[in-house]
Amino acid sequence: MRFKQLAALMVALIVALSLAVGAAQSARQTTLVIGGDWTDLLTIDPGVSYEFSGTVVIDNIYERLVKFDGADLSKVVPGLAESWEIAEQGGGGTSITFHLKDANFSTGRPVKSSDVVFSFERAIQIGGPSSFLFTDVAGMDIGSTVALDDKTVRLDLPASINPSIVLNLLTFNIGGIMDQAEVEPNFQDGDYGQAWLNDHSAGSGPYMLERWDRSAQVVLVANPEYPTPGSITRVIMRYMQEANAQRTALESGEIDIAWDYTPEAFQAAEANTNLKTYKTDTFQMTYLGLNSGPGAPFEDNRVRDAVRYAVDQQAIIDSLLLGLGRRMQTVIPAGLMGADTTIYYERDVEKAKSLLAEAGATGLTVEFLIPTGACGGGIPCADLAAKVQADLAEAGITANIKQTVASELYTIYRAQGAQIVLAAWSPDYPDPDGNATPLSNYDASSIAWRNAWNNPEAGRLATEGATTIDPAVRAEIYGRLTRLVATEGPYTMLYQPYKPIVTSAKVEGFVRSAGGDVELDRISKLP
Amino acid sequence: MLAFLLRRVGSLVFVVWGVGFAAFFISQVVPADPAAAALGNNARPAQVAAYREKRGLDKPPWQQYLLYMRSLATGDLGRSLRTGRPILNDLRDFFPATFELTIAAMLFALALGIPAGIVAAVKQDGPLDLGVRTLALVGGATPVYWLAILMLQLFHAKLGWLPGPGRLDAYLLAPPRVTGILTLDALLAGDWEVLGDALRHLLLPALVLGAFSTALVARMVRSAMLEVLSQDFVRTAKAKGLPDTKVVLKHALRNAALPVLTVLGSLLGALLTGAVLTETIFSWPGLGSYATASATALDFPAVMGVTLIAGLAYSVINLLVDVLYVVFDPRIAYA
Repeated sequence: MRFKQLAALMVALIVALSLAVGAAQSARQTTLVIGGDWTDLLTIDPGVSYEFSGTVVIDNIYERLVKFDGADLSKVVPGLAESWEIAEQGGGGTSITFHLKDANFSTGRPVKSSDVVFSFERAIQIGGPSSFLFTDVAGMDIGSTVALDDKTVRLDLPASINPSIVLNLLTFNIGGIMDQAEVEPNFQDGDYGQAWLNDHSAGSGPYMLERWDRSAQVVLVANPEYPTPGSITRVIMRYMQEANAQRTALESGEIDIAWDYTPEAFQAAEANTNLKTYKTDTFQMTYLGLNSGPGAPFEDNRVRDAVRYAVDQQAIIDSLLLGLGRRMQTVIPAGLMGADTTIYYERDVEKAKSLLAEAGATGLTVEFLIPTGACGGGIPCADLAAKVQADLAEAGITANIKQTVASELYTIYRAQGAQIVLAAWSPDYPDPDGNATPLSNYDASSIAWRNAWNNPEAGRLATEGATTIDPAVRAEIYGRLTRLVATEGPYTMLYQPYKPIVTSAKVEGFVRSAGGDVELDRISKLP
Repeated sequence: MLAFLLRRVGSLVFVVWGVGFAAFFISQVVPADPAAAALGNNARPAQVAAYREKRGLDKPPWQQYLLYMRSLATGDLGRSLRTGRPILNDLRDFFPATFELTIAAMLFALALGIPAGIVAAVKQDGPLDLGVRTLALVGGATPVYWLAILMLQLFHAKLGWLPGPGRLDAYLLAPPRVTGILTLDALLAGDWEVLGDALRHLLLPALVLGAFSTALVARMVRSAMLEVLSQDFVRTAKAKGLPDTKVVLKHALRNAALPVLTVLGSLLGALLTGAVLTETIFSWPGLGSYATASATALDFPAVMGVTLIAGLAYSVINLLVDVLYVVFDPRIAYA
């Protein structure tokens, strides 16, 4: 009798234990843990967010009217809007009319056109770091977004604005649509609900915000109202500042995806069958800015050409980036519409020397301003600068490196105070105009201005490209512009880095777009 | 005693004010623009100007300082430039994690350092003494970040005995936040699984952070004990026939405690500085991580907040140490 009782107890225990283990295992299979350095995450409010890590979180919580399909950024596809038309307005402007699909917010309320008006006008009223996309780039203001009925909303744009650029920027965080009835009651002290939205969410995307423990983790859970849920019901983004810590955590199975791998660690991961490696695209460009103003060292284009001939792009990619980058020499990098991937300059030290001699700049000595920390692709800026310095020295240019924190570097650069500067650029929205205007148009007071390069033809082409709607004509204009800036502009492009991502071999369906979007609901985990 | 306390609390205000003034002065001398740091490379000049105006960065330094002091007087530390939240909220979020780690490191230092020091003193010049002295030398000289990476590699990556960075396994749910001290919250919620996991996560960073302090405590206890052990009353106690353990632990240790108490106050300073590095490597969401992120973003109001809190904590601990003197040594009296 006693033995029987004991045996029954044992069986019950074993069953209970295996059930518990089974439950824990299935929880592991539906939970995705991403380790990364998320210190740049400042807000989870789509109307304010302007950071890469914000994009990962927000795009999975808030749907936009239009979006890109995975990594394909060549054209926008329906999001909350199932269709849209572009029409000429009286008075020269255009309008885009969006027809909303049937969808619910995670709060259970249906998505209405009044929510679109609310979300857009709220972003303009807050005036956060990304609001210039609406006010400056799209020319929007209070009253530009009009709800025609519950499911139809019209966006009115001034004549100078190209509606296809506006569609592109609506895919970004700031285009996220939130539930007005949920957010409005949580406005505090005129903050438009910004504080509340950092700990709650009110979107219609596949996930909702469960909690954000600052500097520890962001936890997302599946939105029960989302019509096509993925297999991952819980996503945990753990803060891991150290690339080394991410590596050990991934190898021990503690995390499923590691966001920040160094080139060396990435190379080792490529040989590890327990891991999958991804070289995901970026629109970043690492470049040298050459001050071309009157009296500046690079006023003469022959001197700028000499720098372009002197720099060894391939060696930088092979020996420093260990392959995590690609060559590029124009202002519109691969992946954007109108991209020009032509290689205009192959390394030629003799040619560089003779150009310098022709320009009377033999023995040129300049100050080379570089930031502290890591440059594109995760390599130390100091290492990259040393390589560039050595390349230039071979051609007879002495570049004296001056290293400073990035914020101080920006201040000097913004005041046209640099001679050569090591800098990076990525467009604010995935449209060629996001690069063409700032990098070519002196009057835009941006990068071309900082390098004191005033070329009226380049400015004219950039403006024409921005306002032309026909894609074929637009591409042709950008073709002329990229060639002009590549051969006469104030830049020596160095490379376009990849963003290395490493996942466990069990993770399937991972895609990161060059804009930083990751559709978490398309990811699954093998047992 | 009361007069002493009042005087000390009064001077505490001055110390904290001095620390704050120094921090403000340094933030003004740094040749970098917080607006440029916050808005990044792509920002338009108009955006930078608007940012500076909105946050009062365009005002002359003395005006900024007066404004800051005025709000400080009402207990308002201002808003962080980086997170946009009131700094008091940020500190409330981040302080408990640092407190937990620091206390754990301090406990390690005392639990390991005191016995080691006693043993070394009692067995002076023996192999045990040599061992303790060597370890104390190594522990005191090892940089915290190096030790941290080494310990992680060994106990987490190679042996797999202890968990990696972070406060809790990603698959475990943290208990409801009451104090923000994870182990305490787990205890309050009666969540034993979380408590166990949190303790295991705490072990390595506390050990690493406490290494320097352990070494210091061991050396202090050793030298203090050596001094006391050679005194007449110890010889008398031994002559009376008291057992050795009683002589050492009761008579000698109590008298040797005073110098140890003295270093406790300054230990806290070492722990707070060490926390900056330890927290970064162990992804520990505390004041150290917060200070690092704020400093790199030139978020001066946040840096000021952290500095004030650290200064305050340091002063209060030292005051407590002074009060504890009286408890340990009745001969000391404050007038």
